[in-house]
Amino acid sequence: MSTVQIRGRFDTPTFAEDDEDVVVIVGSGPGGGTLAHELCERGIRCVVLEAGPHLTAEDYVQDEWEAFNQMAWLDPRTTSGSFRLAKDFPNLPAWTVKAVGGTATHWAGATPRFKAHEFQTATRYGAIDGATLLDWPIGLEDLEPYYDRAEEKMGVTHVGGRPPLPANNNFKVMGNGAKELGYRHIATGPYATNSAPFDGRPATVQDGFNFQGDKQEAKWSPLVSELPKAVRTGNLDLRAGCHVVQITHDARGRADGVLYLDEEGGLHKQRGRAVCVAGNAIETARLLLLSDSPLFPDGLANSSGQVGRNYMRHLTASVYGRFDREVKMWRGETMAGVVADESRHDTDRGFAGGYYMQLISLGVPFLAAFVEPGGWGPDFTATMDAYSSTAGMWLVGEDMPQADNRVTLNQGMTDAHGLPVPHVHFDDHPNDVAMREHGWTQGTKLYEAVGATNVHRTPPYPSTHNLGTCRMSARPEDGVVNEWGRAHDVPNLFVSDGSQFTTGAAANPTLTIVALGIRQAEHIAAEIGRGAL
Amino acid sequence: MATTPSTPVATTLTSPASRELLKDVARAMFPHPSFPDAPYERAVGTILEAAEADVRLRAQLEQGLRDVDVVGGSPFAELDDAARLAVLRRIEGTAFFEHVRTRLVTGLYDQKPVWDLLGYEGSCPDGNGYLGRGFDDLDWLPEPQIVDPHRDEIVR
Repeated sequence: MSTVQIRGRFDTPTFAEDDEDVVVIVGSGPGGGTLAHELCERGIRCVVLEAGPHLTAEDYVQDEWEAFNQMAWLDPRTTSGSFRLAKDFPNLPAWTVKAVGGTATHWAGATPRFKAHEFQTATRYGAIDGATLLDWPIGLEDLEPYYDRAEEKMGVTHVGGRPPLPANNNFKVMGNGAKELGYRHIATGPYATNSAPFDGRPATVQDGFNFQGDKQEAKWSPLVSELPKAVRTGNLDLRAGCHVVQITHDARGRADGVLYLDEEGGLHKQRGRAVCVAGNAIETARLLLLSDSPLFPDGLANSSGQVGRNYMRHLTASVYGRFDREVKMWRGETMAGVVADESRHDTDRGFAGGYYMQLISLGVPFLAAFVEPGGWGPDFTATMDAYSSTAGMWLVGEDMPQADNRVTLNQGMTDAHGLPVPHVHFDDHPNDVAMREHGWTQGTKLYEAVGATNVHRTPPYPSTHNLGTCRMSARPEDGVVNEWGRAHDVPNLFVSDGSQFTTGAAANPTLTIVALGIRQAEHIAAEIGRGAL
Repeated sequence: MATTPSTPVATTLTSPASRELLKDVARAMFPHPSFPDAPYERAVGTILEAAEADVRLRAQLEQGLRDVDVVGGSPFAELDDAARLAVLRRIEGTAFFEHVRTRLVTGLYDQKPVWDLLGYEGSCPDGNGYLGRGFDDLDWLPEPQIVDPHRDEIVR
């Protein structure tokens, strides 16, 4: 793999809009960016359409609200359901990025692999009321070689001879508490931020800013790795500020391109031999639903009725422990700490599936906004007054897919382009509630084991892990795409992001999205090679 | 048909009294004994500024600040801390309360002087991070062990 660094903004060639040989990729995040790079390296020209701007390390600001307003996907969305986000952040169900590199420019870097049983939840967990569990059409053994390659691509710590990240202040608290509790699987990774220089990018300087973009470029993202590498092949045409409004198809029902709006609002049509959608689970489902037509009246690739359903967002919750002495959790890599002991499937705990405890740190502005949404008064200010003596952990675990947890089009509200906004309905499943309670309890014990004087249970933040809305299935009636991410209904339409996850597993999804992207690229290249695409 | 009065209704929001009352409300809502008035005054300033362009907010503030002075039986400024808190508890959840609370959560805590008061350093001044400058300076606990996550992995 080349280590030539291309910093800053890069220019790409422009391929003709009527060029039928290109592969059109919607979205430049970990799914779309990885797929584009892998295809470009194989000599396949790609047009990547990214709705957001081309921000670079120079543009990023180490200030929470300013960065949020610069990077976040803030187009209006609506919500309903029993999940607390519908009350706390009714128009912000998800916290994703609208920029080149996608949500991977804001991720922290945690890269656990899925476990074997997490590909077989219907079989291993059995029937759970209200849950639409389904076995993946692939298993861990199918993905392992691609996990290896994804970890090498991303410079994941603990593997490939790369050292672990050093323990920061926040980890010292979590690691010691975990040990006191009898946990054994305590580490600072695996994590896709450089612990030593790698791939032309420097080691982390522990500046503590991840969710705001990485000014040092020590963290892997498509912006600093996949996309500039794809540029060097000469096969990438990246168009920022281009919002795809519809996938179009020919008389046979094959995708033949997309309609998109440029930055000035001009409508274009880009043709292509295949269309790959990687807009993050809410926008990917929305685009398929917006691509309804007389031939596909319920939306493209939706004969199963599964597009938008089974939306998953991971358990998520946080625990903040307050101590007598200073912690200074904001110093250092935000999420470089993981306790994996609860990631097993062990129904003796009262729920199926598992969860990880991972470090988290928020600055004062975001802690105020998220530690207790709706909070005020002396209890709230006591939490804020203890800021520098506070340690934080995030709980990320598998949530149950449910048919009615879904993304639909809200016909009563349109975005700035005049398109119906996505509506997200989500009810917590009793399994999710039980797992969250368990995580809060264990996190409380962990901090109390090292002297916490107060522990705060924080509810879910707007979701950064959005999954399952176009899920993989062996049988066309159970899902939207097959084992390659190819639509059951449309032979040259692919889903290339976390939307294709059949179930969510406990692990942070980015590593698996990248592994699936490498695998899908091989498949698409082979199909093109044999004349099938 | 009646004609519109040539002068719009006078707003009391810009008066020093309104500003002072809203500051008292802000401090009662987010009481930090160690904070001087300045951060509250700045946060109130951003709310009043927002009200210039937001008629709903302005209307809510006009009425809400009058109500705050009667709910507790005496003007808000004459109440002690406990009584002020009781007033806010009574009006919690009203549109006025939520307008003020949501704007204070950002307006108060997104100030560098407040970060300093709470000990938050934010970005390292030169942007070069905390490596070698205290990212691992916590010394009241032992060095934690880091276990290779790929060995002895929990696969059950």
